[in-house]
Amino acid sequence: MSVERKDDHDHDAWLEEKDLTPIEHTFLATLVWLDKRLRLVDYLELLETLYYRVNLQMPKSHTEQYNLDNKFWYWYPLYSLGFFSTLAYVVAAISGALLGFYYSPSAAAGAVDIEGATVAYSTVATIMTDLNFGFFLRSLHRWAAQVMTAAVFLHMLRVYFTGAYKEPREVNWIIGIVLLSLTMVFGYTGYLLPWDQLAFWAGQIGVEMSLSIPLIGEWVAQLVFGGFSPGQPTLQRMYIFHVFLLPFVVTTVIAIHLGLVWMQGIAEPH
Amino acid sequence: MADDEHTDDAARTDGTGIVPPDDETPTWRERKERTTGLSRLTYEYFERSRREDQDLREESDYVERDVLAFPVWPHELIRNLALTSFFVGMIFFLASTLPPHLGAPANPSQTPSIILPDWYLYWSFGLLKLGPLNPDLAILGGEKLMADRTYGVVANLVVVGFIAIVPFLNKGSARRPVEQPFWASVGVMGVVFAVTISALSMKNLVPLDSSLLFDLTFLVPPIAGAITYAVLKTMREGYMYDLNRRYYKLRPPK
Repeated sequence: MSVERKDDHDHDAWLEEKDLTPIEHTFLATLVWLDKRLRLVDYLELLETLYYRVNLQMPKSHTEQYNLDNKFWYWYPLYSLGFFSTLAYVVAAISGALLGFYYSPSAAAGAVDIEGATVAYSTVATIMTDLNFGFFLRSLHRWAAQVMTAAVFLHMLRVYFTGAYKEPREVNWIIGIVLLSLTMVFGYTGYLLPWDQLAFWAGQIGVEMSLSIPLIGEWVAQLVFGGFSPGQPTLQRMYIFHVFLLPFVVTTVIAIHLGLVWMQGIAEPH
Repeated sequence: MADDEHTDDAARTDGTGIVPPDDETPTWRERKERTTGLSRLTYEYFERSRREDQDLREESDYVERDVLAFPVWPHELIRNLALTSFFVGMIFFLASTLPPHLGAPANPSQTPSIILPDWYLYWSFGLLKLGPLNPDLAILGGEKLMADRTYGVVANLVVVGFIAIVPFLNKGSARRPVEQPFWASVGVMGVVFAVTISALSMKNLVPLDSSLLFDLTFLVPPIAGAITYAVLKTMREGYMYDLNRRYYKLRPPK
């Protein structure tokens, strides 16, 4: 008797005893050779799983179950508003990052030959006139922001009028209100960045609003606007809010909002 | 104590100190049942809720009303992707056809005749102009309790606060506006008020007498709400009529 252990996985011996045609033999030998080196079997299993997943029969949705699609299809755009505002946020984030390469939040005198133009104003003017696709980029950023805000408002109305905020979704409703407020703050801080007349006087309104908060008004005005009239500190702070603080906060809150929707499921139309 | 541990050599033969399970080893279920205090309460609650869920599933004849939620994947997400990819295309279309305007550079010494924030802040801006509603108290000799500006900021907080507590005021399984005419009309009143208060915020641009505009701002929303309420009540009567008409199975004609 041999002292050597019997090899249960001697694939060559297995190949010999199988009595295969040359084509089959070559195929199997190649497969074994590749599998020993690349663990092909794992990837084949993955593919197999994918194949069965793709060919699975889809479960019936609520509206299919009750044959409501013919009555409900025209409401579906309203049900997609939440997802749409997320996508608009992504569009705004990408175009905003590209704009950030060229924008500078400085209220110092700018280089453009316009009376009273600051650096911030002239970088925006440069983006719009000199930069390739810059005009479109700013337009895209602005429209994505406007459309996102509109979509968020309409999304809230849809949720309200279909009663989708009811138990067990109260917490997500409140998170949604926080997100809506943050979206408006996002819009406001961005509105101030070009530092044109509208931006300056909107900043003035903001300062006055925070000053009218009882007790802590002056403190809030100094914290948020860096003083009691719009200027370099205001622009700097709005820039940091817009490109640093709010993106992190809003992205996190959106993730929580969507995570809750995923966990709690969709409140479909009844 | 130390001696006891040293006598049990069998448990440490593999060097890890892990005891292999035998007949005496409690299952996880038994371990959970044996716990006390908060973990025991947690265990009991989870068992109850699991049983409740299972009972509901078994007893349900799966009418619409029993269904609380549907999974996001696949239907909702696929449908949303299809619709919103079109909407994103619309953003690009708008961006390329209607580029934004860049106004004159900031000039602190020249106040423009029209100062407005972006459109989505009009409602908030309008709430800052509620000065005439700020009560002046006789006790204080006609003085106001709050400055008008403070009053406006408080009005903002009240509106947002009310919207936040809606889920705790409106409970029950009613979903459609016809099923809850009151809350639907509150919603319509809110939407119309958002529009009228926005109009008030730019009253120098609206071709109406400003005191008339102020009155309309507060008169139109309740009227719209009342109309909505009446319409939804009527619609509900119609629904109930349809339902009642089909409720009894009638004897077929001879």
